[in-house]
Amino acid sequence: MNRFVVLLSIMAVTIFSFVTPGTNSYAAEPIIIAVPTSLGFLEGKESHRAVQMAVTEINAKGGVTVGGVKRPFKVAAIDIRDAARGVPVTEALLGLEKIILEKKPAAIVVGPFRSEALMAGMDIIAKYKVPMLGTIAMSPGSEKKLKGDPEKYKYVFRTCLNAVHLVKYLAGTMALINKEFGFNKVYVMHQDVAWARATAGFVKKVYFDKAGWEIVGLEAYPTGTSDFSSGLMKARAKGAQVIMPIFDMPQSGILVKQWKTMRVPAIMTGFISPLAGSGAWKIFDKKIGGAINNIFELGSAIDSAKVPQSKIFYDKYKRTYGKALQAGHGPAPSYESVYILAEAIERAGSLDPDAIVAELEKTDRNGVMGRVRYDEGHQAIFGFDPKETAVSTVFQWTKTGKRVIVFPASIAEGKIELPPGLKSLK
Amino acid sequence: MKKRRERIDRGIKVRAGDVFALCSWREVLYLAGPKLLPIIGCLILPLLLNAYWQKVFLSVAVFALLAISWDLLAQTGMISLGQALFYGMGAYVSGILNHYWGLHPFITIPVAAILGGIICTLLLLPVLRLRGIYFSMVTLIIPLMLVRLIEATRIFGGTEGLSGMTPLPSKWLELYLIVLVLLCALFGFRRMLSSDFGLVLKGINDNDRSVMNAGINIYLFKTQALFIASAIGAFTGAFMTHVYMFVGMPVFALDYSILPIAAAIVGGPGSLAGATLGAFILVPLSEILRGIGGLRIVFYGLFLVVFIVALPEGIFHYIQRKYHRFERWVEVD
Amino acid sequence: MFLGTVVYAVINSVILMLMAIGFNLTFGISGVANFAHGALYILSAYVSWMLLNMLGLPFFISALFSILITTLVGALMYRFVLIRVRGQVLSEVIATFGIGLAILELFRYLGFVGFEYTLPVFIDTSFFVAGVYVDMQRILIVVLGAVLVFGLWLFTHHTSLGLAFRGIAQDERTALTLGIDTDWIATLSVSLGAGLAALAATIIIPLGSISPGEGYDVLIKALAVCIIGGLGSTGGVIVASFIIGFAERFTDSYISSHWTMIVSLAAILIVLTMKPSGLFGKQKELEERI
Repeated sequence: MNRFVVLLSIMAVTIFSFVTPGTNSYAAEPIIIAVPTSLGFLEGKESHRAVQMAVTEINAKGGVTVGGVKRPFKVAAIDIRDAARGVPVTEALLGLEKIILEKKPAAIVVGPFRSEALMAGMDIIAKYKVPMLGTIAMSPGSEKKLKGDPEKYKYVFRTCLNAVHLVKYLAGTMALINKEFGFNKVYVMHQDVAWARATAGFVKKVYFDKAGWEIVGLEAYPTGTSDFSSGLMKARAKGAQVIMPIFDMPQSGILVKQWKTMRVPAIMTGFISPLAGSGAWKIFDKKIGGAINNIFELGSAIDSAKVPQSKIFYDKYKRTYGKALQAGHGPAPSYESVYILAEAIERAGSLDPDAIVAELEKTDRNGVMGRVRYDEGHQAIFGFDPKETAVSTVFQWTKTGKRVIVFPASIAEGKIELPPGLKSLK
Repeated sequence: MKKRRERIDRGIKVRAGDVFALCSWREVLYLAGPKLLPIIGCLILPLLLNAYWQKVFLSVAVFALLAISWDLLAQTGMISLGQALFYGMGAYVSGILNHYWGLHPFITIPVAAILGGIICTLLLLPVLRLRGIYFSMVTLIIPLMLVRLIEATRIFGGTEGLSGMTPLPSKWLELYLIVLVLLCALFGFRRMLSSDFGLVLKGINDNDRSVMNAGINIYLFKTQALFIASAIGAFTGAFMTHVYMFVGMPVFALDYSILPIAAAIVGGPGSLAGATLGAFILVPLSEILRGIGGLRIVFYGLFLVVFIVALPEGIFHYIQRKYHRFERWVEVD
Repeated sequence: MFLGTVVYAVINSVILMLMAIGFNLTFGISGVANFAHGALYILSAYVSWMLLNMLGLPFFISALFSILITTLVGALMYRFVLIRVRGQVLSEVIATFGIGLAILELFRYLGFVGFEYTLPVFIDTSFFVAGVYVDMQRILIVVLGAVLVFGLWLFTHHTSLGLAFRGIAQDERTALTLGIDTDWIATLSVSLGAGLAALAATIIIPLGSISPGEGYDVLIKALAVCIIGGLGSTGGVIVASFIIGFAERFTDSYISSHWTMIVSLAAILIVLTMKPSGLFGKQKELEERI
């Protein structure tokens, strides 16, 4: 009997010692910003840090003025684990609901990771009327859902790139390659999840079919695939000049390694999440020279001298956390979202969700990613000029391990160079 | 001088042993208390909780049912590592019925429970002929593979799943429907296990060859037990589909396999009440521990190991023993 | 294209075999189904990553250490946990599963996720074989797989320890009467299984990256191979991994890549309906140990 009691109490003590109730007292009651996302994943972790950085900056200036009172921001984060394979969406939604009910946040920033979780979570957001500025999930499905019932779902905004805008960038890069080198045979490899499938489909519809490209193959890989040899063999056999990968799983790094060891004479142009950050050069043993990759928002993991705020943000993050940003998706819009929210709250003069939403719709801010405005689907507009819209970036790894922005032209630093073994057709 | 511990039945247990227990309120209460407590508790609890904890209560009940289903199988000698198979199958069947044919939840839930039960039973039928570890291996692997089947073929909404299911008419109906089913399952199957049918099932677990020698077709009985267990699991899946208004690949997730096992082991394997008790402890605990994120799953793992090695009887049997008996130290001559 | 697919199919099969052989060996000898197999695989990879990157040891030394440490963890797992529940299949399965879960989720919690968690390749060159480029690492995997199978065969047939292993696999009580300490042998079998998992990780991980999710995948793959081949049969493991390995790569090349993952499911279902104990399963329906 004693053993039983002792064991139980040991367990109870160990568990509860991990639960740390964090109660800080502020002069004015803080405004809570909730960050429910997959904190265990790189994008989630760095976005959370970026939010914290923005909050610290705002609080250092005294906070946000609401109805004549300066109130500080406070971040409440929760790990909803939705990006991990095999975690039920329902479990992620419970986490979302918990943070809304327990912390009573004025707004949510970052939000779910997987579009599947975002779509299902929109109903909860609508139910509790909490404005959300999403910065990770990418499927355009949520805008479609919003447009279907704008009054109900109007609380959902997205500051990051979505699949539709990504398509514009991929198509633009392909057009550039076609113009410079005359290539027109592409092999598409994408991860079998909603946003990647949508992106690949759109690029085909919007660009490849119209511009007369030949798609020599299109393969969907289930999340977790770890051998890409067959696809690469096919790409080689069918004479593809360009391989367009769209992946956000860690295993997609294997694709790059195999592309290198199998010496496929095609240029790799698309999005592979492990290739985005500056750290990739070392991780991949300096063997990614020539690969062209997309960084979803300027400022996340890359900066441009042409947009000074992006450089300030990028450098400040490095100073604050001792490590450069590595996530090509999330941090910059998360940082921006906090400022957008602060401005909207000040303009609205209250924390009433409907008033905040009305002001968020009027957002027009020049910041890290360029100029941010929302369209009628509450999606930040992305274009090719940082003075007009927010911008995404396409860069190429050089043979010396530098990242050179090659697209869009407004912030480009150099021209695309072909990997050895591949000859220009012009 | 040495001492030893001796366990003796409490006086009240002895007094309450025959029909004269009816003469005393105390004794009637002693007999009825353990049954009344969960019934009254389950009926009143939903009224006292706030909206969020009512949601948690739903998952407590769902995991309790899954744990009961697990324990039923374990008592027949089949150790399932894939309750998610039953859960997911029920969820998809009702989701499909509701999404493609627009059937009302009152039709889809019972149909999904039975149809899901039949499909799971058919899938696992070949393994029933084998003893030991095969059943565990196959149950672990099938739900994880079914996920990939859905991912690959993109049937039933593929990776996005099907959303926009018809919800149940009211929140209270949700809560009391699952409470009712839980109580029926708990007490009904307890009764079933102490009947002749249950005796055969337990006999199969203890020594299947003797049961065969008695001229009983053990495969028939195993199939029946499997059907009952998978129908319970399928019911929970179908129910949750309508609560969350969503069904997708995550319904086959490992969580639905691990938590019920953990609940049954912690609560006390070999008794349905123990499985229920385990769910009532673990699920709220896991909600409280949500703040520590992924670490709570580490705790589940450790709970499993500690309980299985150090306290294989589980909490329920411990409480039961304390309720009926007391202990004292006596001198040994 | 065809020859190239064959080359990669062979490599894929050997990878599957390496993943499954440790699990199978442990079960074949002591009857313990080690559901922590995938976790031990990942554990060893993380240990060698940490030795390599945090202590700065050379790769081969850290790999060697990690294999030894994992072997030790396997032995400790048996000595402190499994020995108390030996013979109760329910408890064995749940205890090992719990240990595996705790290890994998602990790494996930500590933030060991991302592509920087990988091990270096042994020799960095590639060859032109049968119309495709194949890198040295994959060739080494095939060589190691062949050496390992041959070595295990020699060990179990021509050394006294190996014969003792086979002895307790055949009949534990009789082995006991002949003076074989079955607990000791069972400890060795679990730790040997763990060591084989670690060895597989050391050579396979450089192709990809280390992640907790991979641990579950390895367990599932090992289980799939063992179900098809028949538990406890080394021949069965080899045949089954070649069946799955070839089927996967050929579906990938000639049908579509998103069908590859379900090839093993189909194979399992077919084998289960035709011959429930697996292709080479020695166990008769009722004679099985547990």
